[in-house]
Amino acid sequence: MNSGSFPESLSHMNTNGHFEPDITAFTCIYCAYMAADTAGALHVPYPANVKLVRLPCTGKTDVRYIMEAFEQGADGVYVVACSLGNCHHVRGNERGKARVARARGLLESIGIEGERLDMFFVSGGQGATFARVAREMTERVQKLGPSPLHQSKS
Amino acid sequence: MAVAVRKTESNAVLIIGGGVGGMRAAIDVAEAGLQAYLVESTPALGGRVAQLGFMFPTHDCVLCRGTSDHGYGCTRPSITPALLDHNLHPNIKVLTSTDVIACEGQAGNFTARLRRRPQFVDPAKCINCGLCARICPVERPSGFQMGLTMRKAISKSAPRAVPDSYYLLDKADTCDECRKCVEVCPTEAIDLSAAMVEEELGVGAVILAVGYKPFNPTEMQEFGFGRYANVITSMQYERLVSRSGPSEGAISRPSDGKPPMRIAWLQCVGSRDQKYPYCSSICCMYATKEAMLAKQRLPGVETRIFTMDERAFNKEYQTYYLNARDRHGVQYVRCRISEIREDPATRDLILRYPGGRIHGEAASGQGPLVEERYDMVVLAVGVRPPELAGQLSRVLGIELNENGFCQTDKFTPLETSRPGVFVCGAFASPKEIGETIVDASGAAAEAMRLMRDQLGSLPSSREHPFVGRDSFGPERDVSGEPVRLGVFVCGCGGSISDVVQAPETAGFAAGLPGVVHAEYLPFACFPDGLDHIRRAIGDLRLNRLVVAACSHRTHESLFQRVAREAGLNPYLAEMVNLREQCAWVHADDPDGATRKAKELVRVGVARVSPAQAVAKERRTPSRSALVIGGGVSGMTAALTIADGGFDVHLVEKSDALGGNLHHVYYVAEGANPQRLLRDLVNRVIAHERVTVHMRSEVARHSGSVGAFESLIQTPAGQIEIQHGVTILATGGRESSDGRYGLGLHPKVIRQSALEELIAHQPERIAAMKHIVMIQCVRPEGAPDYCSRTCCTNTLKNAIRIKMLNPKCAVTICYKDIITYGFREKFYSEARRRGVLFVRYTENDPPKVEIENSKLQTSNSQLPTSNSAPLSAISHAKRPSAITVRVHEHVFGETLELAPDLVALSMSIAPGEDSAALARTLRLPLSTEGFFLEAHLKMRPMDFMEEGIFLAGMAHYPKFIEECIAQALATAGRAMTVLSKQTMFIGGSVAVVEAAKCTGCLTCARTCPFGIPQIRANLTGVGGVRGAAWIDPARCQGCGTCTAECPAKAIQLLGYRDEQIMSGVGGWKLQETKELRELAV
Repeated sequence: MNSGSFPESLSHMNTNGHFEPDITAFTCIYCAYMAADTAGALHVPYPANVKLVRLPCTGKTDVRYIMEAFEQGADGVYVVACSLGNCHHVRGNERGKARVARARGLLESIGIEGERLDMFFVSGGQGATFARVAREMTERVQKLGPSPLHQSKS
Repeated sequence: MAVAVRKTESNAVLIIGGGVGGMRAAIDVAEAGLQAYLVESTPALGGRVAQLGFMFPTHDCVLCRGTSDHGYGCTRPSITPALLDHNLHPNIKVLTSTDVIACEGQAGNFTARLRRRPQFVDPAKCINCGLCARICPVERPSGFQMGLTMRKAISKSAPRAVPDSYYLLDKADTCDECRKCVEVCPTEAIDLSAAMVEEELGVGAVILAVGYKPFNPTEMQEFGFGRYANVITSMQYERLVSRSGPSEGAISRPSDGKPPMRIAWLQCVGSRDQKYPYCSSICCMYATKEAMLAKQRLPGVETRIFTMDERAFNKEYQTYYLNARDRHGVQYVRCRISEIREDPATRDLILRYPGGRIHGEAASGQGPLVEERYDMVVLAVGVRPPELAGQLSRVLGIELNENGFCQTDKFTPLETSRPGVFVCGAFASPKEIGETIVDASGAAAEAMRLMRDQLGSLPSSREHPFVGRDSFGPERDVSGEPVRLGVFVCGCGGSISDVVQAPETAGFAAGLPGVVHAEYLPFACFPDGLDHIRRAIGDLRLNRLVVAACSHRTHESLFQRVAREAGLNPYLAEMVNLREQCAWVHADDPDGATRKAKELVRVGVARVSPAQAVAKERRTPSRSALVIGGGVSGMTAALTIADGGFDVHLVEKSDALGGNLHHVYYVAEGANPQRLLRDLVNRVIAHERVTVHMRSEVARHSGSVGAFESLIQTPAGQIEIQHGVTILATGGRESSDGRYGLGLHPKVIRQSALEELIAHQPERIAAMKHIVMIQCVRPEGAPDYCSRTCCTNTLKNAIRIKMLNPKCAVTICYKDIITYGFREKFYSEARRRGVLFVRYTENDPPKVEIENSKLQTSNSQLPTSNSAPLSAISHAKRPSAITVRVHEHVFGETLELAPDLVALSMSIAPGEDSAALARTLRLPLSTEGFFLEAHLKMRPMDFMEEGIFLAGMAHYPKFIEECIAQALATAGRAMTVLSKQTMFIGGSVAVVEAAKCTGCLTCARTCPFGIPQIRANLTGVGGVRGAAWIDPARCQGCGTCTAECPAKAIQLLGYRDEQIMSGVGGWKLQETKELRELAV
């Protein structure tokens, strides 16, 4: 929507030909952001391919945000929320969950693997879990290869 | 030793204890415009609750929902963002590692002497980089993790702590003074020669919130705690199961790290025995919670709770317990275990107990002894008085009760024996979180009442997304200007710059669109850095700010404030986290980290560029309160608010004040409730600020916090009133229907009627030979919940009968005896006086048979035919005899009793008009039919709707002292609104663009709080009449509606779609690099 083209990333393929995916993680500012901070405080490493985009609540996850992320060239997208039942906004994360499911259906209907999109429920103290999720998504998207929308440019 | 003397301040309150109670009291005191000194003896706030990952029965943490503040993220261990370091309420001063060592003076004018132990790390300089702890060679068991892991001598209790700083504990015991930490600290924050300091404070009131100490089971050698590796305390289990615990919540047993597949909980360890005769009140429910968590985490695990009575006596607790038992398969065994043995080979634990008693449903008496092996045994340890109890008692001159807790009186539950010193939470008696919060707001109200002349004397402001004092210069209107962005990349003393190429990132930022200034700062958050940013905003006329530094959670408020100080709207400032979410997690990949840092900065710039200023609406609150209900709760709330100096409209639907208190003739503790009633009524009638509307009801209620409008229907006609707050105190009522022949036979009466008989016709009791009491009687179809007060009431009456007529047999048929806290002594006394207790089960209730009648009744509805009305029977010459049959489970026999009287403890139901009132006020009801508060634990006296508060039995059945405490709490909360000159409404809330709205109601259905409504006076898409409207005073700012709206007619201020969508996709480093090259 911002631009008609899908610009290539600088290090889309690194020097040894290994695919470095661009991954966007939507996090709520409550448990998910805290979990990311806990991972930091405990120095639990995870791949530097993941960028975090803050939302006030994962109930704010608009299907358009997810589709826009892929359209703008993300290879994978995931949403991190408070544990179910533990949402600061009571059930915003349940709404977010439903939208992620809807967006997955849309992706698959246009031929993009649904596995490129996922949602995780992480508590604020779970730094190691947050890091594990980032690793898991990175590895998963690495196996899938660049997003078809990314490839369409190349 | 240096002694600093603060000037005597009559508007200050000293709060001792920084757990949930102390924090709640501090924020209420501060919001009422008084100064709060929050003193905590350990280095961090949070108390016990900081160690608990989950609450019962909500199974959540949500300390972030402790207040109605939104947008700050996780506030744990604080219950309010107003205690976080860079957002500290201007009226709160936090003093950690501090003890109160003297307190002279009197109510309204105390002088307290405080002693502050050195923490050796200056919190103002500590940047939480953790280098000191990493290099420190000394390890000690972690107190926060209950000894399950180790920590360094210099450390932080948990990654998130308030205040957010490292500290060195017990230097003499732990530290070798190797000085490695001093050398490694990048900010020279560590001073190993720091000394103790003392200071004096002048305060008007003192609130004690020192909590409790978990019982140490080492003295009970029969349980082998400390010897058997797999016997742990419930607090240790809480850490094991916590998501912030040593294994992030994966449960393993200490001896071998394997997941335990058979776990037993032993209840009443350190409670309800000869040495500790009271009930700890919380263990039944926390053990249930712990067992459910085991069931969720470990598929196939067997959980067994060995308990005497299951005391599930609060809102939603019974449902929770039944859910655990019937749906999750947690087993409850009615038995007290006397010994644990260990199999030394496997470290398994062996318990012996009489079998056949699971769920208390044994059909044929006590089974044979069984021996069972468990992988792990959890001791549900009781609540002991806090460590500080003795010292505080001496220093403050307050009395302790026979159990070592703070002495309070029945009708003044928050007052200690010293005027002006108030108490809240578990220091007064064992209590759970919700009750502690109620007490805390109530104690704050007591302090406000005492210091009424100073209320509002220190105004604070919520005009901005941070808490402040509203003393900023004018704000620049930048709406017409082209974007002029400044980017500041912080090195954080190496914390960021040792991994990320911070200056290079700043250089990259300089090439981004709209950026007119970018630079690298070694310490953005230090005074020099902040000055520099402020000056740059002014000198370069920046109209957008990006600070790439650390966490939004800890520092966003700081940089928003800096932006505002420089004249920029705080919503035009954006942070980027290069520390916790970049440098610290990518230390092994510096190139990747720098690449990510650049992308994050690019996203931050893209996000703040289209940002718009957000302004809140100002409102002057109406300085009066509406109190609905004139019982003990309503009258107490009304009097407290009126004493605080505000007008009160008290609406009572009947023709007498007093409510249920009219039917309470004496209480178990011995105080005189009728005198309380007279006192309250006289004071309410005499108070110049209270207007009583008798035989009146609220016909209409509209508006929002600070500006409500109500229509009161009085006998003289309708009155319209404006009020800033509403307090709901409509009470409950003893239910009644034809159970066990109630209303059909004069010998079957309600427990309240028996009390009346004892009070007014004791001679009739003196002539009786046998009285049977049946507990837990509820009307057909009524929800199953514990009415909380009946057991104690029944025991009170049983003891009184035994005092009047020791020969009269009293038999109490019960399911669980709920005498929580110190009320346990009435249970002991009743047994000592020879009252007989017979437990019955849900499936096998007692049966009442009436002679010469076909009526054979149990806990099921009798035909309420008109053929045998009450009057007909009671006018008969000799009432027919009745027989009670009840199955006694221990001996397996059916007892046949022929009592002179059967007294039924009927459940306490919600007030008759609560459903109608709920509709009028648009408030939710709980499954039991009582009003539903904002959060069962964190906000038990608040509604989600700001400015409406809840007290007394309208909330849930409760004792007089509990009604008083909650009424005080609502008064305290009310006065935080009424004492304000200016309130601010809105902020980061959802706003509907009516011209796009189709009126499809999707937002109304999606909103978790039911806030959007269709307003007829708005014009929707295509000129259609009616469009959605979201009340900015109620919107919680989650944005759920904005994401669902099919017409995209709703935007969340501060999170507009164009802000979020501009940086969500692939990483555009090359593109911007090319742009930059073009620019060069």
